[in-house]
This record gives sequence, C-alpha cells and structure tokens, in this order.
Amino acid sequence: MSEPDVLFCLHFLGGSARSWERLARALDGVPFCVPVDLPGFGDAAGTTGYSVAAMADHVAARIRTRAPARFGLVGHSMGAKVALALARRSEDGEPGLTGLTDLILISGSPPSPEPIPDERRAKMLAWIDADPETRRREARAFVTANVGQPLDVADEDRAVDDVLRAAPAAWTAWLESGAREDWGRRIGVLRTPALILAGSADADLGEDAQAALMAPHLAHHRRVTVAGVGHLLPLERPAILAERLRAHFGDRPGQADPDAPAVPPAYAALIDSERVNSRLREALGARAAPDDPAYRPTALDPVELAILRAAMGRVVPVPNLDLAARLDRRLASGEGDGWRFAALPPDADAYRAALRTLDAAARAAHGRPFVILGGNDQDTLLTLCERAELTVPDMLGGRLDADRMRFWFEDLRADAVRLWLGHPAALARIGFSGIGAGGDRDGEIADGLPGFRAVGLDSPEAWEPRAAYEGTTR
Amino acid sequence: MNLEGMRAYREDESVDAVVVGTGAGGAPLIARLAAAGLKVVALEAGPNFTPERFAFDETLADEIYWTMERLSGGSTPEAFGANNSGTGVGGSTLHWGAFVPRADARDLRLHTESGMGVDWPLAYEDLRPFYERVEQFLGVSGAQAYPWDAARRYPLPPVPRNGPAQIMAQACEARGIRWADAPAAVVSQDFQSEDGPRRNACINCGFCHQGCRNGAKASMDVTYLPFAVSRGAEIRAEAFVHGLERGADGRITGVVYRQDGQDRRQRCGTVFLCAGAVETPRLLLHLGLANSSGQVGRNYMGHVATQVWGTFPNAVRMNRGYPSSLITEDFIRPGADFAGGYLIQSLGVVPLTFGNAAARGRGLWGKPLLDYLDRYNHIAGIGINGETLPCDANVLTLSDELDARGMRKAHVSFGYSTNENRLNAHATAVMRGLWEEAGAEDIWVLERVAHTIGTCRMGRDGSSAVVDPQGRSFDIDNLWICDGSTFPSSLAANPALTIMALSLRSAEAFLAEGH
Repeated sequence: MSEPDVLFCLHFLGGSARSWERLARALDGVPFCVPVDLPGFGDAAGTTGYSVAAMADHVAARIRTRAPARFGLVGHSMGAKVALALARRSEDGEPGLTGLTDLILISGSPPSPEPIPDERRAKMLAWIDADPETRRREARAFVTANVGQPLDVADEDRAVDDVLRAAPAAWTAWLESGAREDWGRRIGVLRTPALILAGSADADLGEDAQAALMAPHLAHHRRVTVAGVGHLLPLERPAILAERLRAHFGDRPGQADPDAPAVPPAYAALIDSERVNSRLREALGARAAPDDPAYRPTALDPVELAILRAAMGRVVPVPNLDLAARLDRRLASGEGDGWRFAALPPDADAYRAALRTLDAAARAAHGRPFVILGGNDQDTLLTLCERAELTVPDMLGGRLDADRMRFWFEDLRADAVRLWLGHPAALARIGFSGIGAGGDRDGEIADGLPGFRAVGLDSPEAWEPRAAYEGTTR
Repeated sequence: MNLEGMRAYREDESVDAVVVGTGAGGAPLIARLAAAGLKVVALEAGPNFTPERFAFDETLADEIYWTMERLSGGSTPEAFGANNSGTGVGGSTLHWGAFVPRADARDLRLHTESGMGVDWPLAYEDLRPFYERVEQFLGVSGAQAYPWDAARRYPLPPVPRNGPAQIMAQACEARGIRWADAPAAVVSQDFQSEDGPRRNACINCGFCHQGCRNGAKASMDVTYLPFAVSRGAEIRAEAFVHGLERGADGRITGVVYRQDGQDRRQRCGTVFLCAGAVETPRLLLHLGLANSSGQVGRNYMGHVATQVWGTFPNAVRMNRGYPSSLITEDFIRPGADFAGGYLIQSLGVVPLTFGNAAARGRGLWGKPLLDYLDRYNHIAGIGINGETLPCDANVLTLSDELDARGMRKAHVSFGYSTNENRLNAHATAVMRGLWEEAGAEDIWVLERVAHTIGTCRMGRDGSSAVVDPQGRSFDIDNLWICDGSTFPSSLAANPALTIMALSLRSAEAFLAEGH
C-alpha cells in the first residue's frame, strides 16, 4: 500500500492549521496535507460547536468537500480525539467518510477522559479570559511548558499568537467538557492502521498514557516515543514526524493474518477422525480459529480489556490467544457458571472493578499503568491479589478491597484455565485422549461407541495422543 | 429423551399430581404414581435432551448445568453449577457421578450415637427395601461381595477399575484398609430398561459429568422417566415453576409456571416439589409458604468433599474409565475426635475440571500452572464424602438481587464447624498417607464442598421441621417435598441414591392414603 492522497491534520488545544506548516513542508506534498482549523481556533475562532462530535462534524464537512479516494487523519492531542471519532464514523461506513487509510495520533487525547490533574486544568481555565498582559504571559508559559526543548523564537511567537487567537469559550469548553467526554465505548476498537506517537518529555499524554489509554482502541498500531520531545511534536520536530509518517506508510502495522496457537498435525488428524463427534469437532474448530485483533469488547471497555489481556498473559502465558476477548464475550452473554462469591458484585462488574483496582495499584506502586509494567512487576501485584494483600485506597482508584481482589483473582484463574483447556492446542499439549471416545451415531442413544477398552495403569491404546513434553514417539 | 406419543393433560383438568423437577427426587415418584394409574404432570425447568448429542466436552456440557446464578457466602463458599446442579429432563442426574453408596445405618441415628447432629425420623430398615428397588431398576454395578454389608448384592458386576482405582486399591492393601469396586449406577453390561430404552454397557469414556451418550449411566431420562411416560405421565420441558395457587382452605389447587415466555397454570390435587435443596426452598421462600416452622432454608449442608491429588510415574490417564471406580467405607466410623465419618473414593477427572481445581484450589497460575497441566496423564486423585452436621449458621436466604425472571436469587451461606474441620483433618491425613504409600509425588490437597442438602428438613414435629417423615408438608397437606432438601443431616453417603429411595417411599405413602 502507498500513501493516502490527503492527510487531514487536526491541531492541539491552542493550535491552528498553522501548526502543521512545517510538517507539510517536510512531506512536500506526499501526501498532501490539509490542515484544518477546529471550531474556536485559528481562522475558525468565530465558529462555535466545541464538543468532540461538533468538531468532528466540522472536519467531516471538509473531508466531504475534498472527497479524497484515500485519506489519513492526523490528530494532535485534542485533535486526536476528534480524529478517533471520525475514524469510528468512517469504519461504520458513513457516506463521504470512507477511504480512511491511516490514523496518526500525536500525543493524543484518548477516547476516555483525559488524565489532566485538576490543578493544571484549573490554572489553564483561570487565565484564558484574563487581562491581555496576563494572557500573553500565560500563553507563552503554556507553550514553553509543553515542549521538551525551547522552540526557535519565531515558532514560539506564532504558537503563542495561536493560543491568543483561540476563542476563550472554545478553550474552556475543551478543558471543562470536551477532554472529559467519554468516547471509550463509542470508539471501541478501530481497525484502521495507526501510528501512536508520544514525546518522552510529555507529562500527561506521554508513552504510558498512550499505551494504557490510546493503544487499546487501535487493533493495528505501532507506538513510537520520540526522545527529548514534549507535547508539541509537530512544532518541535516536524522533520522527525515526517520521517515517522513515511515509515508508517511504508510498513503499516497489522497487515499479517492473525496467528493462533497451532494444533499439531497428529492431534488435528484425531479431531478429523471418526473417533470424534461432529459437534465436538465443530466446537474445537471454532475455538481454534484466530481471534479478531479488532474484537470490540462489550462487558468491558477497551481500556479494561487491555488490562485483562495483560493479566491473562501472566495467568495463562500462551501466545496468540486472546483469552481476554473470549472471556469478555462470555461475560457479555450473561451466561455464568451458576454461582459467584457473594462478596463480589455480578461477574462483569466485578471484573471491571477489579481490573481498575489492579491498574490503580500499579500506578500507586510504580507510577505507571499495569499494562506497561514488566512481567515481574505484574506478577508481584497479582501475587498480592492472591494473598488478599492488595489494598488500594478509594482516592487512588481502588474499587475492591483485598479480600474481594483475592476472590476475583481466583475467578480469573479459573476462567483463564477453563478457556485455555477448551482449545484443541491445549488438549494436544497435555495429550488428552478423551475427545476420541466416539463419533456420531444415529438414534437417541449412541450404539457401538468405541470408548476405551483398557482403562488401567500403563495401558494406552495405540491411537491415544501423548503430552507434548513427553514427545510424540512411543 | 423420546417423548413421542406421550399422553397430554389439559391445563384446566385437575391432575392427581404435579411434580416439580425431574431429577433424582422427582423421577422415581413420577414413575411410581403413573404406574398406579394416577394422572401425573412433571414440570422441568430445563430442556429435553437427546443423549447422543452430549459431546465429550466440558464446555459444551454447560447446557446441562443449572447456571442461573446463586450467591455463595460463608466461610467455605460452595460452588454450584457444574459442581452439583443440573437442568434438563432428568435434572442433575444428567451430569451426576452415579456413585451410589447407601447410607450407613448409624448415620441415621447420629445424635443417639454421638450426642451431635440429629437423628432421622426413620431407620435404615425403612430405606433398605427402597434402596434395593432403586438399585435393581437402575442396574447398579458393584462389588459382588460388599465388605461393609454382607447382605448386599449389586445387580450387575462392577465396572472396570481405572488407573486411580488401581492405585488406591494397592495403597489400601498396603495399609490394611478394606476396599471394594464402587457401587455405580452405570451398567457394566447391556441392560434393558423396564419399558425404556436398551442401555449400552459403559464404554469407559470418563465423561459421566458431561452427560452419558450411550445410556450406560442411569440418568432419569433413560430409566424412571421413560417408564413413567409409558404409564401415562406427561413431562413438560422448559417449564419454570414460580407460583402455587391455593384455595380458600389453603390447599394447593394449581401450579403456575413459565413456558415459552408465558405464564401457564396446571390444576392439580397434589404438588410434589422435587427441585433440589436450593430451588425448592427458594420457591417456598419466594411464595412465603409451608414455613410456619421457620425452617425453610435452614441447615443448609454441603458434604465435606476434600480431595488429594498426586503425580505418578505411571501413565494413569485418569480420564479413562468410570471416574470413581473404587470405594472404602472403612472410615464411616473412624473413632476419632468427631461425630460421623466419611467414605473415600478414587478419582479421575477430565481436563477443565482438573484445571479449575489446580487454578482455584491449588492457586496455580503462570508457568507453574501450564507445567502442572502438562502432567495430566500422570495424575490421580482420591477424595472423600464426609458428614456435615446441621448448623444454624448455614442457611439459604433470598438475596435482594433479582434473576432474569424477576425472582430473588438464592444466597447460600455455608461454613464448616468444629466437627467438619476435625473430620476434614483426619481424612486429609488418611488420604495423604494413602497417596504417599502409593508413591505419589507433588501431593496437594483440594478443599472442596459437594452436593446440596438440607433446607426443608423432615421430622416428626411440625414446629421444628418442614415435612413429616414421608415428605409431606406439615402446613399444607397436599404439598410434598422429595429431594435432598428434606435430609435432616447430610449422611456420609452421596445423596442421590437416598433421594431416589425416599422418593419411592413418599410415593408409596401417598398411594397408601388411597390416592
């Protein structure tokens, strides 16, 4: 695949179409950049409609006007959230928005509420409609606080001017509501190939936030952290950004077919043989099918699903199998196992609360989200769950106490192992022969099933599989 | 099961009996009452299955487990669903283990013997003829000389001893413990069910708990229920009972159930509740009926069902063969520091059940879990079924949470007391010793609670019991209960055989009144 025809570029809070000038120059028309002033900013300072949906409508109109065959969306910070909303509409097949080939998300504000500390938000709200002198001073402080290295003077001046050009109402609306809108479930999981960029010196929307809050929404993504850069990559390092875009267009993530655990040929042959009944064969086939990388969770939200995937990966560490998605599907079906610990809320609620508690524990202990911790650190937290020693105060995001986390972790282990052992690769690995007790028969009661003739110790029948660790030879 | 040609009753016709539930409690009496010429309608909450469709798979077997959620609390919360509760024509017998020891006579008078627990309002001799009838009708296979009851003869020779049974037999031998091929309601040879299907001899598939495909296991849908249908009983599947209608005199006049999304009513002369020790009390508490004693829901009991697992150098392949093909009753009265006792059985389980135990009970996860599962073909277990005494703290109540039908969910609070803890410690030491004797490595203990018992106890006095010794409600004389909920104490034996015997006994008592 090649470059899209056009890149629609959506700026950050306080930026404008001008924020993309240097990127456009660096790309030199391949692809062609169409920077858009979002409502309340740049030349659109007089335009209203500041919600994420309204901003997306504004951009959609521009896309329709140009009617490109293939286009990409580049969203920076606030603009990223708008780009995500548009991508969802595009993937849902909205007329005039089809043809989306790429999502480029730079220090993006995630679909879920943006993690801005309250005091920073309050400070940003305080000066935007103050006297001109304060505004100019604070606007400059805002720009300089958001870069890794100082911009050159002309760029910084233009950036400060853009902040001052913004309608204070638009600025306030983003901080008070747009950034807080929860689009997590609406956006769900997107299939569009995505490049997620972060600056290593970004405070709130750096690589951790991108990994925990952005990446779960993008089935096919690559995350790149640019060293030494703050929150304003298009202003700080436009050449690097252009280079990263070209690399992305040359090698989009997610082009390969999804993998699944392999069922060894001998076991596959047993499944195909007349010793196995067709209902079981069909079920094993369905379980062996690769998981959809863009599985859109319904019981959990995508961020929670990502935490569950990380935890599942520690509990049943088998590659290429999305046990978390399979569990979400079961939770959403409402088909439980007939009981639950009375101490826990209903299964789906328990999972959501427990996963958020686990993530909060990671942030409290390491200052980082659970999904980005190394395996050993993740195991340490799960071990605390197991011992009923994981305690996270409410104010830090703890939702279940230590005893409940222990019950939940027991449920998780059981759910994980049951899902794994349903997979034919798991049955093959342990050398399970039970599937071969007999195939289809006519009639209500099965006649003439082979079953097992010898059942005592050390008397395997010739056809019975052996566990993988014991080797395949007898 | 095949319901073609089944007799059908009109809903506005008052039938002699409506039986709620078609499992071990309901099916025998449905058959007996129908054979006596009574008009009987059985209402089963679950669907009607065809045995052949059971697929040798634990996940696909979810369809035969009662998966309407229950809340499990107390100090030893019990698992429900696949652990003990079934749905479908045949009830829990679709997935039961078919392990059918009789109650020990001493367990029925435990209080007289020990001063603990309670005595049953009936004696072993009251049950024995019914045990024999059930064993004959089901075609129970078992030891031809039963070491703990010289008079007992099982109708069919035992099913083969599988790997875990061979290991347990050798270990018992070495330790001077008597053992026997287990009594199993699984036919060891082809068997013609009376006015029912021809049941094929057990093929040793090991999937008793996932539904028997060839009729070898005596689930009710291949035994009592075909007989009942042949004698004119009607079975209505997917009929969930949630109401009982009463006349001005307080007697039951009809049963209200939901089927195909609609409420229906069947008029009747008598109702038998046979929905098990969770759904029966749940319905009565929901309706506020038959509870002048305040005993409905009280004295909930699960058996102490601890298991010990170990890894052997042999190829055990525990999935093969009848899962619990060896028994010892040498510990029914171990003479230790607790009342009652326990029986021990050999154990083989299929992978999800095993993995669930390893993950929940042993607490394994990560690489240790995968490594342990790899040993599956070399693992064997041994487990007990041990007496649980009735206890005030163990109670079934209705939660404030509603199910999909708008009925309050059952909340079961269960925990061991001193007697159970002592029994458990004793049994664990014995089982560990046996597995050490057998040369097991990596031995571990799975704490586990099994079965659903109690909540509508039988007794002689209506102020302290829900039903009389025949199973009739003290409060409403045309309401009977025939299932595990009437047990005053748990007994060491697995409950189903005793439930069936009591079911026939209730039927005879009902018929003796001239119905």
